[in-house]
Amino acid sequence: MASGDTLVVFTPLHNEPPASALATLDTRNARPCLDFDADADEEAVFSGIMPQHYADTTGVTIHIWWGSSTDQTTGDVDWEFAFERIISEVTDLDADSFAGAQNLDADAPGGGSIITEDTLAITKGANMDSVVAGDAFRLKVRRDADDGVNDDMTGDAELYAIEIRET
Amino acid sequence: MAVLTDADRKAIYAEFMSDASSVHEHLGDMLKADLRALINAVDQWIDDNQASFNNALPEPGKTQLTTQQKVKLFMAVAKRRWEVS
Repeated sequence: MASGDTLVVFTPLHNEPPASALATLDTRNARPCLDFDADADEEAVFSGIMPQHYADTTGVTIHIWWGSSTDQTTGDVDWEFAFERIISEVTDLDADSFAGAQNLDADAPGGGSIITEDTLAITKGANMDSVVAGDAFRLKVRRDADDGVNDDMTGDAELYAIEIRET
Repeated sequence: MAVLTDADRKAIYAEFMSDASSVHEHLGDMLKADLRALINAVDQWIDDNQASFNNALPEPGKTQLTTQQKVKLFMAVAKRRWEVS
């Protein structure tokens, strides 16, 4: 696969909400979205299979499509992404084993109710929990809302889509 | 009565943002710290002007209503002023 090619796509309807601190499924103009609160950390989790054509040369780039529920144009949202590799005959289904979170400090959208796209490159190996082609995996998306330095946008952040591309 | 605790102010902050988010109500160019400062200022103003508010009330309500009833009345009048404006 070539750099920049799509590997996996997740929408809000793919979310597997955690038992607590979950982002809330909502709609805006009939578009499904996941609302992440502004005052407390919330998470969404997506399951997938890394396609066989993933080359694992450099890693992946996550593209997140999101908006502001209150149409804010100032401030930042601190998004975090964490991979969990699921290994046959190894992974314990009753426990989480996500790799360390990778941070994306994203600016509020540019104006009104528009959507914005932000990207984060995650290097192969430990930062991706060593997920390779053919692996089942989970991706956790979290808003670090109580980060007083990097997350200062008022109101919910709405997640509309995640695309994982070959870097 | 003293000003609200930090936990109580934080609860207002969370609820205010949640309510605005649910109806997609724009909050100006305010950042989170700006909203917290606003809430702190409103709470402080209420605390500073509690006696003045009470002194403005005519009798017999001034002495016969409880503090909670007076607060409830204040909120009802403020809310109606906002609704008809």
